[in-house]
Amino acid sequence: MADDFWMKTNNLRRYYRRGQYEVKALDGVNLELRRGDFLGIVGASGSGKSTLLNLMAGLDTPTSGTVELEGRQLSTMSRQELARYRGHKVGIIFQSFNLISHYSALQNVETALYFNDTSRRERKEMALMVLEKLGLADRMTHRPADLSGGEQQRVAIARAIVKNPEILFADEPTGNLDNENTLQITKLLAELNQGGLTIVMVTHNLEMAREYAHSVVRMHYGRVVEGGERG
Amino acid sequence: MTFRDLVAVSLGNLMRMKLRTFLTVSGVLIAIAAFVSMLSFGAGNQAYISKQFDELGLFNTMQVYPKAKNDSVAADGKALDNSAIERLSRLPGVNLAYPYDAFSVSAQMGDSTISAKAQALPTGAIKTKLFSQLQSGTPFSGDSTRQAMLTESFLKKIGVTDSDSIIGKTIIISMKISTIDSGFGYVLKGLREQGADLIEKIEFDSLLHANYRNRLIRSEANSVAKQFMNGFLNARETISDTLKVCGILQQKRMGRIKIESIIVPAKTALRFSTTGISGDPTQLFEAMNSGTLFAEPGDTDGRNFPEVTLDLDPRVPYKQIKDSVEAFGFKAFSFAEQFDEIRKMFIYFDMALAMIGLIALTTASLGIVNTMVMSILERKREIGVLKSLGADDNDIRFLFLVESGVIGSIGAVAGIFLGWLISRAASGVAQYYMTRQGLPTAELFALPPWLILIALAIGIVVSVLAGLYPATRAAHVDPVEALRGE
Repeated sequence: MADDFWMKTNNLRRYYRRGQYEVKALDGVNLELRRGDFLGIVGASGSGKSTLLNLMAGLDTPTSGTVELEGRQLSTMSRQELARYRGHKVGIIFQSFNLISHYSALQNVETALYFNDTSRRERKEMALMVLEKLGLADRMTHRPADLSGGEQQRVAIARAIVKNPEILFADEPTGNLDNENTLQITKLLAELNQGGLTIVMVTHNLEMAREYAHSVVRMHYGRVVEGGERG
Repeated sequence: MTFRDLVAVSLGNLMRMKLRTFLTVSGVLIAIAAFVSMLSFGAGNQAYISKQFDELGLFNTMQVYPKAKNDSVAADGKALDNSAIERLSRLPGVNLAYPYDAFSVSAQMGDSTISAKAQALPTGAIKTKLFSQLQSGTPFSGDSTRQAMLTESFLKKIGVTDSDSIIGKTIIISMKISTIDSGFGYVLKGLREQGADLIEKIEFDSLLHANYRNRLIRSEANSVAKQFMNGFLNARETISDTLKVCGILQQKRMGRIKIESIIVPAKTALRFSTTGISGDPTQLFEAMNSGTLFAEPGDTDGRNFPEVTLDLDPRVPYKQIKDSVEAFGFKAFSFAEQFDEIRKMFIYFDMALAMIGLIALTTASLGIVNTMVMSILERKREIGVLKSLGADDNDIRFLFLVESGVIGSIGAVAGIFLGWLISRAASGVAQYYMTRQGLPTAELFALPPWLILIALAIGIVVSVLAGLYPATRAAHVDPVEALRGE
C-alpha cells in the first residue's frame, strides 16, 4: 500500500568489521519523514546518529535494509546517481564545519554549485545572496581561519542551502559552538525549516532538539529507543 | 563540474603549493628540454640534408649505369650509347638525359698551366639545378659556343680568389693524343728496321715442328704489340682550343654526380671527348671497351658512356621512372630513393635520441606521481567535502588528472623554450668550430612545428598518465572516512 512519506528507512543496518569483531553501528532502524519535517536525532557518542545521517545523505551504503526517497531505494542508485542526489537534493552541515581552508567564504559557498549544473555567473550571484542573507556580506573574502566558529558554521549552512536542497542534514551543527552561537544557528535552522526545508539534525542536546524539532528520536547502540516507531 | 572549473580549481591548488609545484614542473621541464634539444639536432641535420638535396635538384635527378660494374657496356651487351640516351630521354617523366662525358686536358690561364679534367655538357643540363648555381658570371649560351665554365676548385688550383676577375678571360685547353695510326706506324717502322734480322733469325727447317712455330708466333706477336704500344703512347699529337670563361660554378659536394673543373659546351667539346687517347694507359682499355679506339675526331657514333644523368619531372613518381630505366636493362640510382633511406635512418636516430629524453621524462613522471599522492593525503578531507557536495568519482578523478596535466603543460611549454635555448647555444658553438676549422657553416639544429607539437603532446600525455594512479586513488576516497577527519 502506498504511503505519503517522502523519505523513510526500513530495518536499516550498518555493520563494520574491526579485525575479528563486528561493530553494529546501526541495527534495524525504521524512520519516516514527510516534506517539511524537522527531525531531531539524539543520543550519546557511538549511538549511530552520524551513521544514520550518512546513510540517509547517500554518503554511505547500508549493510542491509533500505533508505527510500520518494519510493526509490538509494541502494539501487549508481555511485553517479548518488552523487547527483547529494548535489541536487541534499545539503549537509558538519560539527567541524568542513570548510575548505584555502578558499574564501564566497568560494566555499560557490563550491556547492559546481556539481548541480549552475552557470559560473549564477553561482556567484547565488552565493553572494545567501551569504548576505545569513549576515556574512562583510566576511565574503575571508578565509575560514579568519572567521569565528559561529561565522564558519553560518558559511557552512550557506554552502548547504545555496543550491536550494530538499533536505538538510545537520550533524551536530552546534557541537563546537558557544551558547550564543548555538542559539543563533539553531534559530537559523528553525527559520529554514519554517521556509519549507526538511531538516534532519543530529545532536547531543535533547532539550534543544525538543524545542525546535517536530519529532525527536533517541538512539542507543545503533537502535532507536524512543520515538520514530511506525505503527 | 565544467572543464573550465576543473582547470581553475587545479591551478588554484597548484599555486597554493608553489615550491612543490615548481620542483615537479622543473622535472618535466628538464626532461622536455632534453627531448627537444636532442631531437632538434636530428631534425636540423635532416633539414640540412634535405635542403642540400633540394638546392642541387637531387630529388629530381637519377643516375643511370650499365648493369656491369665499372664498365660502360653491360655484361649482357646493353650499352649506354647515344641511342640509349635518346630512348631514356623519351621516357615519361624524364625532362632531359645527358651522359657523363669527360676528358683530361692541360689548361692554361695566364701564366698558370695545370692538368685538369674537362666535362662536356649540353645547354639543357646547364639549366638544371645541378649546374645553375653560379658563383659569378653566366652559363654558356649554346652548345657550340667557344665558352667554358670553371669550378671554384679550379680557381683554387690556379690561385685565384676573386671569381669575378676571371670572367671574360681566356682559357686554353689542350690535349696530347695518341692515334691508332701512330701505333701501326711504329709496327711498320720496326718491321722495316728489323725485318731482315727477323727473316735471318727464322729456322725454316724447324717450321714444320708445331712447337717451334708456336714459340715463334708468340715471340713475334709480343714484339709487334710492344712496338704498337710504344707508337701509340709516345708519338702524340696536340689538339687545343681557346675558350672564354663565362661562369664560375659554386663548389658543392655532389656524391655520385661528377662535376669536373672545366665545363665545356657539348658540341665544342666533341673534338676532345671523341679523339684518341691522352696518354693514360687505362684510357686505352676504356677506349677499347667503349668502341672509340678507332673513332675519328668528332665522330660520336658507337660511343658508350659510363653513366647518364636524368633530369626528372617532379610530378612523376621516381619509382615509376626507375622501373622503366631498369626495364631497358640499365641500373638506376635515384637520389630521392636514397633520401628516403636517409630519412629512415634519421627515424632510428631520432628514436634513439627520443628514448633518452623519454627516460628523463619517466623520472619526471615519478615526481608527478609523488606530488599527486602527497596531495591526496593532504586533501583527503577536501575530497570528502567535495563528495558530500555532489562530486562524483569522475569529478575527483578529472580534478587530479587536470592538475597533473597542468603540471605537464607548463613543464612542456617551458621545456620547449629551454630546449630551444639549448639548441641555439649548441648551434652557436658548432658554427664557431666549423668556422675555425675552415668548414662551410651549416645550421645543424632545427625546431620544426611537428617537434613542438610532439614535445607538447608527450609532456602532457606522460604527465596525465602519471596522474592516473593518484587520480583513481583520489576518486575512490571514502567520503565518510575522509570527513571523519583525524
